Parts: sequence; C-alpha cells; structure tokens
Amino acid sequence: MSWSGLLATLRPRAVAKDEDGTEPDPRFTFANERTFLAWSRTALALVVAGLGIVQLLPPFPGVPIGRHLLGVPLIVLGAMLAVVAYAEWVRNQRALRRGGPLPRSIMPWILAATIAGMAVVSAVVLLASALR
Amino acid sequence: MTEPEPAGGSPPQDDDPEERDPGLARERTSLAWTRTAISFAALGGVVLKVNVITGLIILAIAPLVWELGRMSRIGSPQTGLPAVGATRFRVITASIVAVSLLSLLVALLGPATHGALR
Repeated sequence: MSWSGLLATLRPRAVAKDEDGTEPDPRFTFANERTFLAWSRTALALVVAGLGIVQLLPPFPGVPIGRHLLGVPLIVLGAMLAVVAYAEWVRNQRALRRGGPLPRSIMPWILAATIAGMAVVSAVVLLASALR
Repeated sequence: MTEPEPAGGSPPQDDDPEERDPGLARERTSLAWTRTAISFAALGGVVLKVNVITGLIILAIAPLVWELGRMSRIGSPQTGLPAVGATRFRVITASIVAVSLLSLLVALLGPATHGALR
C-alpha cells in the first residue's frame, strides 16, 4: 500500500465509515485494543527513559552531548511508536472485520532496531568518555 | 468468526470460560487502560522533578486516560462493545505525541538540574 493510500485509510472519517465486513468477535476487538494500549505504554516508557537520561544523569566526562545523543532519539522514537501503534490498530481492526489475515506488524522490528542502536551508541559514548 | 455473534449472548455450551463470558476480555482491557493511565502519571512525576508546569500538564492527562477507560467499559447493549470508537485511540496517540514534544522541549531547554542522580 502506498504512503498516501495508507494515510487516506487512517483519516477519522475513513475509520468511522469502514462498513465492510462484519463486527468481529468482541474478544478479538478487546485483544486488539489491549495490544494498542501495551504499545502506547512502551512508547511512554521510551519517552521516560530518554527524559531521564538527559535530565537526571550526571554528564559523561569528556562527552558533553553524550546524554542528548542517548536521550533525544529515545523520545523521538516514543512519539513514532505511538503513531505506528494507532496505524496498526486501524489495520488490524479492518482485517478482523473483513475476516482477512492480520497484517504483519513492523513495531517489533522498530523496537529491536531502537534497542540495538541505543546499545551501540551507549557503548560508544561510554568508551569515548573512558578513553578521554 | 464465520458468523457474527452478539457478545455475551452465546449460549453457555462451551467449557471455555472465555467462550461463556467475554466479560473477562473486557476486564483485562479495562485493567490495560488503568495501567496506561498510571504510566502517564509516572511520566508526569518524572517531569515534575525537572519542570513543574510541564509535569502538571502531563499529570493532568492521567485522569483523562482513566476516564476514557471507564467510557470503554460502558458497552452498547446490542453488541457489548464499547460505545465509543476509534476516537479514544486517537486521543491516546495525540497525547503521547504531545507529551513527547513537551519532554523533548524540557530535555533540550530544561533547567540545569543536570546530575540529579549524582
């Protein structure tokens, strides 16, 4: 699906007027809702972690922007994750209504890439600070 | 899910408790809303340490989320489904994006309380 097509399906009106298919088993609807909420909490946790790193950690000696290097990407990714979680809730609910296969989620990939990337950046910052 | 069945209206012929009572799924969902509200409150508490006004703004979102969760417990009598639709999720998403922006501002421009955990 193209980006403009994906955006069009996410508009509030398009969601409200999705009359295709039938109402799925309420348990599936509730499970989809819980999945969205769990990803939302994950996004909030990323924001908390980023803010805590920037504001509460002591500065890394020799790496003046070290804390921002670690914290700011986490906050930005938290916002991104929240938006993607909503997009996937819409896609899943539509698939449930139409009885189609559930679309593959890209969020585990985003989260894994984020954590791996932050681990690498942390190691670099700590090494730079230690070798100063 | 070959045919639509009304929530809570399925006859209790199955041994699976979920099958007899989708209210359990509703309760789990309601608890998930509670956890989400608490998460907002926790973030507000962290920000409160850095910037009081921003912290209070984020703390004020927590009861809003709680209220959304309460609304989603009130199902429409026909389907047993929440009476409100996707608006709840848009509110949550918009809240998190706004909170991220606020946090970013606080992180970049925040006061020099650096090293509070020193």
